[in-house]
Amino acid sequence: MSNTDLSNIEVNQKPVAKRSNPFANVFNELVSFCRSRSMFMLHYCTGCGAIELPPAMTSRFDMERLGIQPMVTPRQADILLITGYVSIKTLKRVILTYEQMGAPKYVIGICSCTVNGGMYWQSYATAKKLDEYIPVDLYIAGCMPRPEAVIEGLQQLMAKIKTDEANSWKKYYEHYDYYLGNQQHLFGNNWQTPTDIIGEAKTYQLEGPNTLGEHTKILESVQRPLEPLEMKL
Amino acid sequence: MNQLDTLLLISLITALISGLGRRHQLIGWATAILLTVQFLALLSISSLGYGGTVIESAVNLTILGQPLSWRFDGLSWFFALITIGAAMASSFFAAGIWAKKYKKHGGNPGLLQFAMSLNVFTMLVLLASGDLLSLFIGWELVSWASLLLMVLAGGIATQWGLRYIVYATAGAMSILAGIGIIYHLTGSFAYADLAAAASTFSTTHVVVLSLLFIAGFGVKMGLLPFHLWQAGAYAETPGPGSAFLGAISSRMGLYAMLIVVFQLIGLGKMIAVEIPFTFLSLRDLLMWVAAFTIIFPTYTALRQNDARYLLAWHGIGQGGYMMMGLLLLDPVGSAGGLLHVFNYATNQAALFLAITAVVYRTHTADLNRLGGLVNRMPLTFLVLLVGIIGLAGIPPMNGFVSKWLIYRSLIIEGMPLLFVATVIGTLGTILSVYKLIHNTFLGQLRLEHEHIREVPWSMLAPMLVVATIIFITGFMPGLVLDWVASAQAALGFTPLAYTLGGVETARGSLDMIWLCGVLFGGFGVGALLFYGGGNKAKRVHQLDNYAGGHFLTADTRYHYSNNFYAGLMHHIGGWYRGTFKWLESSLISIVSLLSGLTQILFHSYHPALFLLITATLSLYFFIG
Repeated sequence: MSNTDLSNIEVNQKPVAKRSNPFANVFNELVSFCRSRSMFMLHYCTGCGAIELPPAMTSRFDMERLGIQPMVTPRQADILLITGYVSIKTLKRVILTYEQMGAPKYVIGICSCTVNGGMYWQSYATAKKLDEYIPVDLYIAGCMPRPEAVIEGLQQLMAKIKTDEANSWKKYYEHYDYYLGNQQHLFGNNWQTPTDIIGEAKTYQLEGPNTLGEHTKILESVQRPLEPLEMKL
Repeated sequence: MNQLDTLLLISLITALISGLGRRHQLIGWATAILLTVQFLALLSISSLGYGGTVIESAVNLTILGQPLSWRFDGLSWFFALITIGAAMASSFFAAGIWAKKYKKHGGNPGLLQFAMSLNVFTMLVLLASGDLLSLFIGWELVSWASLLLMVLAGGIATQWGLRYIVYATAGAMSILAGIGIIYHLTGSFAYADLAAAASTFSTTHVVVLSLLFIAGFGVKMGLLPFHLWQAGAYAETPGPGSAFLGAISSRMGLYAMLIVVFQLIGLGKMIAVEIPFTFLSLRDLLMWVAAFTIIFPTYTALRQNDARYLLAWHGIGQGGYMMMGLLLLDPVGSAGGLLHVFNYATNQAALFLAITAVVYRTHTADLNRLGGLVNRMPLTFLVLLVGIIGLAGIPPMNGFVSKWLIYRSLIIEGMPLLFVATVIGTLGTILSVYKLIHNTFLGQLRLEHEHIREVPWSMLAPMLVVATIIFITGFMPGLVLDWVASAQAALGFTPLAYTLGGVETARGSLDMIWLCGVLFGGFGVGALLFYGGGNKAKRVHQLDNYAGGHFLTADTRYHYSNNFYAGLMHHIGGWYRGTFKWLESSLISIVSLLSGLTQILFHSYHPALFLLITATLSLYFFIG
């Protein structure tokens, strides 16, 4: 496992400039505001935390008043909710799902298990810290957190999106080598997903010095490319 | 010799040339070009489509003292336009590269072209018929010509063809009986004499005659319960042939029915005929037959797993809409029925040609063995998409306009139950055409189809032309409503008041130009946001897809095509009882039982006695 701990690295943060013109960023702020107010949520219900989501979503606590709705596929989803312990087998699916989401995308880890393994600390088959494998925007700790806490967490995420601070998805592209290394450490060097993260990093213009490295080299050497399937006439 | 004679002569020459030169390599193109010449000849009498007067043929024959005459009016012209148009599209499609492959697989493309051009000629003769005798001659010619087209493929197609000819012969007997009765009553075969005498017919005569003719002509139309031959016979014909047959062939039944039952005997009389112990008049009964002709075959189509059979079953169902519209007898409904003949023909031609293109590349029409072809054959997909939108009657394609007119008329005339029945039929249509496009073009591409390409331009061009016609006549239905109005006038209906974009009546208007504008405006705003406002698009691989977090591989099928609509079938599956098949097979058993018994009696029991009985009965029949 790589020794660097990325959990505190701030990515691509623009220096807070003194604003002379109050209208300079009107459009960006409008986009961030709108983004924070309409979010589709893919809940990858792994552990016991899932049971707190139905009350949070339905009439009692009513997530939808915040503009948050469940979504069935990652392609249309903005938030990935991981609601409990993540076994190694599950983690592969979580990563696959995360990579299939379109940017900007946000990850929320619910329950103590996603923070540090929780009561599964001693398990051989459980990933302890979720943010070693995919960047996490927000943790909602607790065993399990009540719906109020979930809503509170989502509101915090909204606030972060509104102020353009929820940028962890950029971290995945900029430090892909680090995340890939941790994944390879856990799953073995043959690990690969269908999604072309390096290509996406180029598309989003987020390719940094840490995107490529020794681990991506391993990936390149083992990767079986998917056959191209373009539209052709 | 006038322009009508020229048209018929060119048509005859086309059939002769393609028949004699059917082994020649270029006969496909020659036939297609000759059909284009026919089309131009038809355009030279296009005044008929815009309210022109009837053109009488200069050819007049007298057989056994009975004069035979031929003429073209607005209705004939309208049907002839569709006939020749469908034949042109099919013929051009079949002329190029398709023919080479067909030949390689043992087919004879020249014979196919000959059969199609012969069909066109016989149909024109039928459409031009000017009295009951020439109508019957035309009818028989059409029947046998379409048999030739149906049995071309051999094998199972021959069985379907024989089944067809049994039905057709029974239908022809029924028509002949009707004509015989009319001759007995009026002493003439002329249309005018029948029309004049029809007002003096008693109720019994009206009922017997209309039932005989509707049964006879209904066989060709696939009217319930005479529909069982049609799907297989049309589907098993080689691709372009089934496009032609599907588009127009069974409409000849509708044409003949319109002439004899609607125009001459007069449908108005059927409204007066009350069926005892019911609330229905004879016309209501026919409308319900039309409604069930819509529903049952459409839902049978829903269960088909062969694309060709699915389309062919729809052909039967859509015939019900035409019948329904015309039976409504008001300007709106009859215009809808006639317009649907045109619209349906364009849709069915596009769909059958697109499916033929799929079969050309994949060698199968089995809906469980296809999928994901949109990536490989995008233009064929486009044609099929346009076709199914039209067939399902969804704007902006032309099928919407005709179905709208029929619905509108059902509401205006106050027939809510029939309206619901037609809507149920449309629901079945939408479901089954979705199945068609989903199972062939959407979803997962199969490994064995990884390397196929779009079909060549010689096949694409006719398909795209037909698809364009579907859209343009949906965008500006007034273009076709011109012809429909003169066909209505020829039939004696009040013509519909129409505009270029649709209809404008006090009780509801339709303007497709506006509708298309709004529709494409909406799409345009969406496209602008999607392509202009978003980030650069990145195309992802088909296997980079979400299935509950599974890692997808090409060797496993995730395409949900087998047992499509399982949930729906859970609810309605038990209603498919095959009643009509049972009816047909029990009829067959009875007939074969009777013939077997007679044979036993004749051969082994008392041959002399049997001969005596037969002779006595025959003598009684002829002398007594």
